Parts: sequence; structure tokens; C-alpha cells
Amino acid sequence: MKFSLNIIRELNTKYKSLADNLDFDIVNLSQKIGAQLGAIEEIIDLGKKYDHIVIAKVIASDKHPDADRLHVCLIDDGGVVKDVLRNEEGLVQVVCGAPNVRPDLVVAWLPPGSIVPETIDKQPLKLEAKEIRGVVSNGMLASPKELGIGDNHDGILEIDGEHAAGEDFATAFAVRDDKLIDVENKMFTHRPDCFGFLGIARELAGISQVKYTSPDWYKLTPVAPKVERTPRPFNIINDLPDLVPRFCAISLSDIEIKPSPVWLQLNLAKVGVRPINNLVDLTNWLMLETGQPLHAYDYDKLKALSSGDVPTIMVRRANQDETLLLLNGKTLKLRQGDIVIASDQKAIGLGGIMGGAETEVDASTKNVVIECATFDMYAIRRSSMDHGLFSDAATRFTKGQSPLQNPAVILQMVKQVQSLVGGKVASELIDNCHLDKTSLSRGSLHPPVTLEAQFINLRLGLQLTATQIKQLLENVEFKVELKGDSLSCEAPFWRTDIELPEDIVEEVGRLYGYDKLPLKLPSRDLQPASKNALVEAKNSLRLSLSRLGANEVLTYSFVDGALLDKVGQDKAKAYEVANALRPELQYYRMSLMPSLLDKVHTNIKAGYNSFALFELAKLHEVTATDETGLPLETEVIGFIVAKADKLNDQTSPYFLAKRYLSTLTKAELDFKALDETAQSLTAISPYEPSRSAMVYSKSNNQLLGIVGEFKTSVRKQLKLPRFTAGFELDLNNLAALISQPLNYQALSRFPKVVQDMSFQVDTNMNYQTLVDALNQSIDHYKPDDTLFQLSPKDIYQGDDKQHKSITLSLSMLSHHRTLTDQEVNSVLDKVAKELKSSIDAQRR
Amino acid sequence: MNYLNPRVAETAELLKERLSSISDKTAVLRSIELKALFDELKTMPKDQRAGFGQELNQLRQELSELINLQQDHQVIEPIDITAPFDINVASATMAQFLPSDLGTIHPLMKELNLILDIFYRMGFTAVESREIDDEFHMFSSLNFPADHPARDDYDTFITVQTDQNGYNLIAPAHTSTMQNRVLVEYKANLSMGLPIAAVIPGRVFRNEDLDARHEHTFYQLEGVYVDQNINAGHLIATLKTFLQQYYAKELEVKTQPCYFPFTEPSFEFVLSCPFCDKQGCHICSQTGWIELLGCGMIHPNVLNKAGIDPRLYTGFAWGGGIDRLVMMKYNIEDVRYFESARLDFLRQFI
Repeated sequence: MKFSLNIIRELNTKYKSLADNLDFDIVNLSQKIGAQLGAIEEIIDLGKKYDHIVIAKVIASDKHPDADRLHVCLIDDGGVVKDVLRNEEGLVQVVCGAPNVRPDLVVAWLPPGSIVPETIDKQPLKLEAKEIRGVVSNGMLASPKELGIGDNHDGILEIDGEHAAGEDFATAFAVRDDKLIDVENKMFTHRPDCFGFLGIARELAGISQVKYTSPDWYKLTPVAPKVERTPRPFNIINDLPDLVPRFCAISLSDIEIKPSPVWLQLNLAKVGVRPINNLVDLTNWLMLETGQPLHAYDYDKLKALSSGDVPTIMVRRANQDETLLLLNGKTLKLRQGDIVIASDQKAIGLGGIMGGAETEVDASTKNVVIECATFDMYAIRRSSMDHGLFSDAATRFTKGQSPLQNPAVILQMVKQVQSLVGGKVASELIDNCHLDKTSLSRGSLHPPVTLEAQFINLRLGLQLTATQIKQLLENVEFKVELKGDSLSCEAPFWRTDIELPEDIVEEVGRLYGYDKLPLKLPSRDLQPASKNALVEAKNSLRLSLSRLGANEVLTYSFVDGALLDKVGQDKAKAYEVANALRPELQYYRMSLMPSLLDKVHTNIKAGYNSFALFELAKLHEVTATDETGLPLETEVIGFIVAKADKLNDQTSPYFLAKRYLSTLTKAELDFKALDETAQSLTAISPYEPSRSAMVYSKSNNQLLGIVGEFKTSVRKQLKLPRFTAGFELDLNNLAALISQPLNYQALSRFPKVVQDMSFQVDTNMNYQTLVDALNQSIDHYKPDDTLFQLSPKDIYQGDDKQHKSITLSLSMLSHHRTLTDQEVNSVLDKVAKELKSSIDAQRR
Repeated sequence: MNYLNPRVAETAELLKERLSSISDKTAVLRSIELKALFDELKTMPKDQRAGFGQELNQLRQELSELINLQQDHQVIEPIDITAPFDINVASATMAQFLPSDLGTIHPLMKELNLILDIFYRMGFTAVESREIDDEFHMFSSLNFPADHPARDDYDTFITVQTDQNGYNLIAPAHTSTMQNRVLVEYKANLSMGLPIAAVIPGRVFRNEDLDARHEHTFYQLEGVYVDQNINAGHLIATLKTFLQQYYAKELEVKTQPCYFPFTEPSFEFVLSCPFCDKQGCHICSQTGWIELLGCGMIHPNVLNKAGIDPRLYTGFAWGGGIDRLVMMKYNIEDVRYFESARLDFLRQFI
């Protein structure tokens, strides 16, 4: 919302609104606005734009000797501009191409050295005295467009009113010391009143603790004017009383359309509204003043579009296949949800958003119908979004303007038209009103809010008295009744946002000044906050892997459908993003590995030959919901290790991935071949079955996840090096293993015996089968008071491809005595004998 | 697969046969026969184009799948998945971890831990946020009326799939989506005379165009505090205390009124720039101040929806971005690096 400080100041003076002086110093005021009204987007110094421009009077205007369309003018600037060539009478020569230049015209003169205001934000054009077709022109006479007030470039600006030659243009029109303040619109989502200057003026007073009084025409119940002459009757039919609870209209005749007075044009231009003509400008001005949009229809055009003698204005839904030619020249294909203003024959406007071209008020217009209505904010929002149409009116209606202000605003419009444009009242004021009687008679949208001063003080940490609170609220025109410490607060009719006691708290806090609240931490007892166990488990996993040279990554929760195809995952099982702007945001990921695989090639290309990446992520699949019916959110840890092909590492990457995995938990794990259950898991799809394993926790046989290398097709499509392997484990299950207490072994005072041993087994026998058999057997034959541990040393295969040889190291100790080698050897002999018969393992 | 168009069917036959005889399987996808059909498509009359094009795409898809299938059917030497290492590879050279000095924790996660640590010490517990949620938690429970324009401020991703009430599921655009859950979960604290004090870190999503300052995926930290007699001064003091701990220096703070449906009053929280001490620098755009986060007193409707009586209890909440804190701290120039998985970026955060 943009407003100019001078406009606010002028309105305050005009309406005698302030009970006391207000500090308009821009530094103080902008600080106050920031702290108590809303964040300021920017402050623009408006005066700068009009530096050096002088009001001058055209004394003579003669045809240019060498150009048909140009005039050579002599202008009187009261002699104020220095360093400019003058004739003996002190007049300045300017060449002008405007058709409307003529003697006695008061104009805006841009003397040499000034900058054309229109160009100031683009490429500033600095004027100088230069010859135009052999005649020196000292600067130029400016059109409204060149002055940055609208699009009109048909002629130079004709200045009206009492202005003497030589006046500073910026001072004359109150721009010299003016500042434009732009407060972010989102601050006012719930404050439709702040989209009008009156609302801003009231707030500025309120936050400065100065009492504000709205002008009588806005506040008091207005009296409808008498029909003056030549009635221009019309009918209103409102089919949508729920969406358009109030529709006020009145017709005016004998209008003379012409440009607005310069002060009005400039005031509109200051806040970025384009001046069009006096009548349209007034509707816009009233909107800027009150926040209430208005619209004017050409009565005669409306009549031509209606069937009978008396034109009809209908409020209805758009019909199927209906179109509308808008004021902006575009033809709109209406949607059935749109609120349409129509004659009884066809649509003439998109209600609350933009009028139609066929009833446009233009130079030929003599009679008009003025509309001042309230439209449902949600309906306007939908239409505005559907059509991509964002007008000043729509911006205001989507905040929910109060219908209680409609009559006051339309009657003020009538008054303004009469005084600025001329014209007669040509119909009764029609007030098609469907509001409930109580808010109408109460003059406020919601019943008064009753609360104790204590309620406010507790929530703000203040100690205001009820009287102080009353004063703060009355400054912005609340009606407040005191009963002891209890306050009954009735919001003024323009406030739509005051319903709850908390709304009053907000109001009081803001008006008093949040920057004055005492800052104090909440008091609490010594009860410690409990840490989130899963968050802690994740951190310990991060530490483990990063300590082993791996890098944690974060990748998007969404994946490209093409990536799912590459790894063979069923897109139908993925949550699909309906409004993704880019293909890589198409689906929620169902497993983490594809995202990680996708990052391998780019890093290898970037020159990293050997790396490990890991990520902790949440996954979703349409097949699983949680106990609340929402998509089940599973958490996983994914890890990948890769070495560029040029390193020529011929070992199986599976074992490195497995080794990383084994560092994550002290619990014993089982690695089993992929089976039927595995095939049903989405996460399994990229893994090569012959070089991958399902990972279970040994103690409870719970599935933790998968570790392995990747299918040839996946490797090829994702350009993975041969040495790539990874794992993906369920985080909750893993965390449960991590949190188990460590199994500490007391140290022995006696030395341990370490013995290597090799077994020749069938090539197809699992390493684990041998180790399990060994563990069991050693446990059986070892002396009771001993402990032992096995660790792998080597797996060897010679020319004999039927067999392989596995070497392990056994360490054994006792807490009570020194073990001898003989003792250990005798155990091993028995073990070897047993293993020979049980699994055909031959000790070597 | 049966193709209606005889030319497509013929080419399919031919290419499938070739697939079994050549070693570079993907060559069929680049074959002149297939290319010829696609070229033909361009000049085809409009009415035939759709059907023909569809068949061509089906053919390409079928061939790709066949290639994948055949590639994956090539016998790959199996390994003993229970073993600690390969056969005939000395254990000393086998399965070596990467040098430990290369390892890193993601800078966002590292920072989040620093932040959580401060809040733990201040008495807050932590609850992680969801990545897919429903309309109720994202909007309704937070006092956003249906169709309210304030919903537009969040360019949310929605899914094709719907929740039990027929609303599209939502990729949460703020961690406030967890407020209702946290209030419900810890409600029992209140009757025991303890506050509800929780911070909620999580990943959030906005459907917007990417550039150096905008990511569709980023991290936020939400905070919620509810007890008896909690006021707006407590809110400002809590955030100020946190920030002074975080930046390890005295700071000035101020608030700007703001509008969020789920807090009343609502503020934008602004702190004096900790990098230049209000002198003006590029981080604070020479203003000396940094707009950091949104906050406010929890709206009574939000407390009510969680079954907490707003006449007895009041509270405050805030939410702010983590990415920006980290970017400011290290002078990171592009927010997109965070989710890029680029080692150039990650390995700097040792």
C-alpha cells in the first residue's frame, strides 16, 4: 500500500481530523510505521522527480518558420530561472510541438538543466538549450506523459487554478517535500481499511497516540440527495445476495468529461494510478481515499445494451461460453464461478475486478451510473487468480471491504462529481442491501468485545489502566465503555478484523508500541528438556560416517519420473506432485538410493575419483499410511561409495559398502541373499541380486535394509563407475540397535593366546557358515573359564576351483590363569575334527 | 506388445531381432530405422500424428526395457555376501575406508545441531517436521479459513493423491504445519504445571522458480512455547536470548507488526546485524538490520483446535529459515549449493 505523506497531511487538514499535532519527520515516522504498522518496502523522495520545473505562462505562440507542426513560443517565468537566454522583455523562447499550445496557457516548463520526470527512473534525459530546425529552444513545455502523470502525450499539460508564472511546480502541487511510503501489502491482509488514505491517516494518528476523527461524510449516516433533473432511471437485479451483500448505485446526468484538475492528476500519479478523465479519476480517488472501489458506467451505452426503455444492471454468475470485452482491451472467456455485472442482455463487467469496454466512460459520455458495492473476497480472489487479473479494485476486495461504508462513499462521490465535474443527480440512490439487520443498526460488523484490562496486560506484559486502554482505542474511533476494569469495545464500521478479545490485545499492543514491551524470559523450573532420541541417533550416524571420510549430502525429496524409470521403480506407487514446475520435482521419492546414484557421475566429472556420500531422509509410498491416515513417513540412511574407473580398483565394492555399514552398529548383523520378500521392496530395484544382501539384525531377525552393488542397466544409464556400491537402512530400526548398551568386557590380568587357522571348504560354502560352525564348536570345546574371539585374515583360492581356503585368527583368554598354547591347540584339534564331519571343512 | 500401425510393428520385429544379435544393445535406440519413423512423424498429417507418435513412444519404451532386461540378464559373477572381503585379495589392501579428513557433515545439519543445542539448554525439546502433510495441519488447524488469500502467500506443492477429506496432500511450506501435533502431544505438560516448549526443525517446500536466493526446498526451525501468563515480551526476550547465544554477542532486536492467521499479534523479528554491528555491510544490505523470522502470540483458535483453553494458557511461536543463517555465516553465494551434493561445496565444511 503506497501513500504520500503530503496527501495524508492535506486530508488531515481538510477534514480537521487530528486533535493534536503529529510528528511527520520522515525518520521518526518511518521508524514508528515499521514498529507499529508494518514493514516499509521503500520510501521514495517524490520532490526529486520535479526538481527545477517551473510554472510559466505562454505569452506568444507563433508558427515555426521551418516546420508546420511546431510553434515558437515566448514564455514568462517571472524571471526566476537563472542562466537562460531571454529577450529584451525578459521572456524565454521555447519550441513546442503540442497542438494545444496557445497564448495565456499556464504550463509546466522544463528549463535547460532539468531532467524529464518521465525518464528519471530509466535513462535520465537532461535538457539543454538547443536548436530545433534553426530556432533555439530553451528546454521544453511538458506533456502529462513527460511529467510522469499518465499516458497523455496529445498535448502539453494545461495547468488550472490560481498559479503565478515563476512558481516552483513541485511546491505548487505539494510534491516538493513529499515522500511516498510503501508498506508491504501482506501486513494488511486483514486490514481492508488500511488500503485507503483515511485508514492510513487514522493509524498514523493512533500509533502516535493522537486522537483521530473521520470526516462527517464518511462517519455519519448520509442523506441521499434529491433527484434534480431529467431522471435516468435503471433497475438492479441481484441474483447473488450471498456473494454481493450490498450493491449501491445512482445515476448522474449532464456530465462534462475532460481531464481532471492538475492537483488530482498529480495525486493519483504519486501513488501510481494513471489519470484518465475527471469522472474516472474521481472514482479512483475515492477508492484511494477510503479503500472502497467504485465503478462508473456510461448510462446511454448501458441503455443501448439493455432491452427495455429502462436499463437494467444485473448481478449474476457468468453463463457458459460467455465472453466479455474488458476495459484493458482484452476479451475474457468468463468462467462459471465469476461474478458478472450485466445488462439484461449481456455482461458489462467482471464484478469487483474490472469493468467492460462497452460501457466505458469516455469523452462522449453525458450520463453515468455510479456503482459502489461489496463483493465476496473469496469469489473475487478465485476469479482474479483464474484470469490472472490483478486490479487495484481486486486487491482491495480480496481483503474484504466493509459493506457498511458503501452508501457514504457513493454519496461522497456524487458530491465530488457535482463540485468538480458538474452534473445532476438523475436517480434515487438504490441500495440493494442484504446485510443482517443487527450489524446495520449497530453500525459495526461484529458485536462489541468485552474484556478486562488484566486480560490485555497479561498477554502484553504491561500494566495499563482501563482508562489508558480506552484512550488508545478511542484514538482510532472505537466506541469503548468502561465498567470498573471491564471494557466493552465496539469496532468502527470499517473494521472487519475485530471479533475476539485477542484482537483487542493486538490493537492495544500495536497502538501502545510493541517496542515498549518489557523483555523478560519466561520462568520455568529446573526440569531438563529431553532430547529427541532419533535426532540424537542421526547425529551419531553422521559422526560415524563423516569420521570415516564420507560426506553428508542433502538431495531433494522429489525425483524425476525418468530417474524412477532408470532404476525400475513403479511410478504408480509414488506420491505425484500435481503442480511441479520442473520434471525433477514430479514424484516423492520412495527410496533414497536413486537420488544418491544420481549424484555420482557429476562428482566424478568434477574430478573426485574416490568418495562416499550419505544422506538421512524421509520416504513415502502410496501403499503405506500411518495410524492417522496420513502417508507413512519412513526414515532411512542411504550410503554410496564410488571409485572412478581410472583408479582400476578390481575388488568388489560390495565389501567396502558392507564394511562402512558394519561400523554403524555394534550389534551382530546377518547378511542374507535377496529372496521373495526382498523383491516386493521398492528400494531393492537398483541392486544387482547376485552381489547384494538383505541386512538383518541377528538378535531379533529384524530387516534393516539392503547393501549391494548395482545392476548393469542402472550403472549404464546413470554413468556409474564399476566400483559403486551402497546401502539403505531403516533409521528407526537402526537407531534401536545403536541405543542398546555397549557390551563391555573386563580386561584380563593374564595374556591371551592368538592362533591363526585355515580351513579348506567347498567354493560354494558361505564364509558365515564356517564362522558360525567355528563359533559354536569352539564355544563347546573351550575350557569353561575362557573367552574367545574370531577375526578374518584371508580368503584364498589356488588352481583348485572346487575349494577355497579361509584363514581366521582366534584369540582366547582366561580371567583366572595363563592359557597355554597346548590348551588352545587341543581345543582346535577337537573343533577341526567336528567341522570336518559337520561341514566338510578341512583344517590345513 | 502389439502395434496397430504395420510400419511400427515391422520395425519393432526387426529391431527386437537385432537386439539379440548385437553386443552394444543401446545401438537399436539410435538405429536409422527408428530415426526414420520419428522423422516421418514430423511431416505426418495432424489427425494421424497423435496415434502414430504414441505407438512410436511405446516402441522406444519397449526397446529400452528389453535392453535393461538383457543387460541385467548377463551373468554376473556372484560374490559371497557373508564374507568380509573378496577371494585372493590381501586383507590389507581390501575395503579400505576413505581418509578421515575428507569426511564432512552437511553444513545445514551442523548448524541445526548448534541451534538445537542452545534450545535444549533453554529447556526446549525437539520434534522433527513431516515432509508430506494434509490440509488440516498446513492450513485449517492454523486458523486459515478455506480459500483465504493468506493461503496464496505459500506457493505450496500439492500431490495428485488426496487425504481422507478429499483435499490434495501438501508438501509443507512451513514448519508451522507441526504446531497442532506438538501442542496435542505435549498438552499434558500443562496440567502438570510444566510449559510446552518445543522446537521443530524440518524441510519445507515452496513451488517457486530457482535462483541464487530461492530454493524450492529449504529448512526451517519452528518454536512453540505455551504456559500460563505468557506474554509478547517473553517471546521477544526468548528470541533475543537465543540469538545472543548463537552469535555470542550483545544484539539489538525489534519487531514489526505483521499478519499471520495463526498468531495474534504477529511480528516480523528484526535484529541488529551481527556481522557489522549496525555499521552497514553487504549481508544486511547496508541497513544495519536483518529481518530474520516471523513470530507472534499463538492465536486462540489454534490453541482451541489443539484442545488447550486460550483463557487459561497463552503462548508464542516463531519460524525462521536455517539456510539463510548458514549463508550469512559463511558468505555462501548460492542457496542451491545446499542440495547439490557437490563435493566442491561439501568438503569445505570440515
